[in-house]
Amino acid sequence: MVRRLIAFIGWAGRYVWSAWAGACGLLCIAAAWQGAHEFYGSFVLPSPVETLHEVAAILREPWFVRAAGETAVRSLIGFALAVGIGTLTGAIAGYSFAAMRLMRPIVTVILGVPPIAWIVLALIWFGSSGGSAVMTVVVAALPISFAGGLEGVATRDRALDAMARSFGGGMWLRFRTLTLPHLISYLFPAWTTTAGTAWKVTVMAELLSNTGGIGGELATARALFDIPRVMALIVAVVAFALLTEYALLHPLRDRLERWREAGLPWGVKR
Amino acid sequence: MRLVLERVGHAFLGRAVLEDFDLSLAAGEVVALLGPSGCGKTTVLQIAAGLLDPLRGRVQRHYRRHAVVFQEPRLLPWFTAHDNIAYGLRAAGVARAERAAIVAQRAQDVGLSLHDLDKYPAELSGGMRQRVAVARALAVRPDMVYFDEPFTAVDVGLKRILQDLVIEAAAREQFSALFVTHDLWEAVRVAHRLLLLPRRADGPVVARAIAGEPGRRRERDIFALVEAWSADPAFRELFDGRESVH
Repeated sequence: MVRRLIAFIGWAGRYVWSAWAGACGLLCIAAAWQGAHEFYGSFVLPSPVETLHEVAAILREPWFVRAAGETAVRSLIGFALAVGIGTLTGAIAGYSFAAMRLMRPIVTVILGVPPIAWIVLALIWFGSSGGSAVMTVVVAALPISFAGGLEGVATRDRALDAMARSFGGGMWLRFRTLTLPHLISYLFPAWTTTAGTAWKVTVMAELLSNTGGIGGELATARALFDIPRVMALIVAVVAFALLTEYALLHPLRDRLERWREAGLPWGVKR
Repeated sequence: MRLVLERVGHAFLGRAVLEDFDLSLAAGEVVALLGPSGCGKTTVLQIAAGLLDPLRGRVQRHYRRHAVVFQEPRLLPWFTAHDNIAYGLRAAGVARAERAAIVAQRAQDVGLSLHDLDKYPAELSGGMRQRVAVARALAVRPDMVYFDEPFTAVDVGLKRILQDLVIEAAAREQFSALFVTHDLWEAVRVAHRLLLLPRRADGPVVARAIAGEPGRRRERDIFALVEAWSADPAFRELFDGRESVH
């Protein structure tokens, strides 16, 4: 028990420490941003520092908390639905050749329709409610999870499956111990992409359908020509997306896929 | 008889690989199945182990439980050596607490240290992985074990050690075994008798008894027998190096 706790603390420490490398990348972007700001001036592009001040200011305001909450709930529902439906149908298609032949074209059609067209349709169907944002997220992000689920199940190791059958392992045990761990390595890239897409598409749908949330605030700020506020809202959305990915999905993946790290030669780990 | 195959026949995409094949294995008997590559040795094993349904013929199994050791270790990369050895027990519904004791015992039987049990397959050498695979098979206390060219990929010295391990376990636990191999020396070391499959499905099956008990034969006698059989016309197909035409 104590050994496990120490191992966990060690892992958590390494994970947090690895954030420095990520911060370097972000600071490079900030430097380029600062350069562009010096060239174009504050009216067109506020400096990173000005923007951070504005972020600090809006974080204290009640409307921002409400708007961020709305956007978060919508993108979360959209994410959950897209991942749930996409993974499930993808996995079914991976198991059944007939289902795959049937579903592939459907997904291609969904993929082919531009998201902006879905927003228009969603506006007509759901009106000015959060539903249009959720639907747009689901439609835009579903094919990625579908492809992940399909590839994951289709490329499962048949040799391991035969081994498990030779021991009389049932369907459920085989799914849990053989297919699922393999599937997860395909699903995580799909899920991180979906999480990023969910935030972006929610904000876009909110802006276009004027249904509140951060997108709605963005529309207002644009109308008022409040450039620092526009930048602050953009930074906030990016921060949320980074947070979901690095505080939620990546640690989860790290914990689930520790065996992968074991395969790396000494010194290459992390 | 623990296992009886009667007039078994099989074909892949219309190409016959087996015809009217008979085999019976007594309790505690180890039979080596030899043949040139592509002759259907593995097919026989898969049919006997129930991994493949034969097109013709009958398979009777009079045993409680079997285990298969494959050519590749077939370990789950996301499980530690411990959990891999316990996999068959888990499939059989053995409780977790009970599993740990059996795994420790079996690890010792195949020469794995307790320290190795916490490692993932990627951290183990090829020989150790195959040891884990053998331990996984023995852990379920099988009374029938199928070996499908299990030690092809390990070097000669280690091969001998792993063979001795199998010989010892078979004598100790009195399981029957079907040992598929293309190595005459290996067959003569581990088995009570051997069957040589022909390259063509309708050719004659050669059956030979091997004098003495596995593990008690002198190395000199084994080499003499291998040398004599190598010159035997009945074994010619095994050494002519041709692959069968698919």
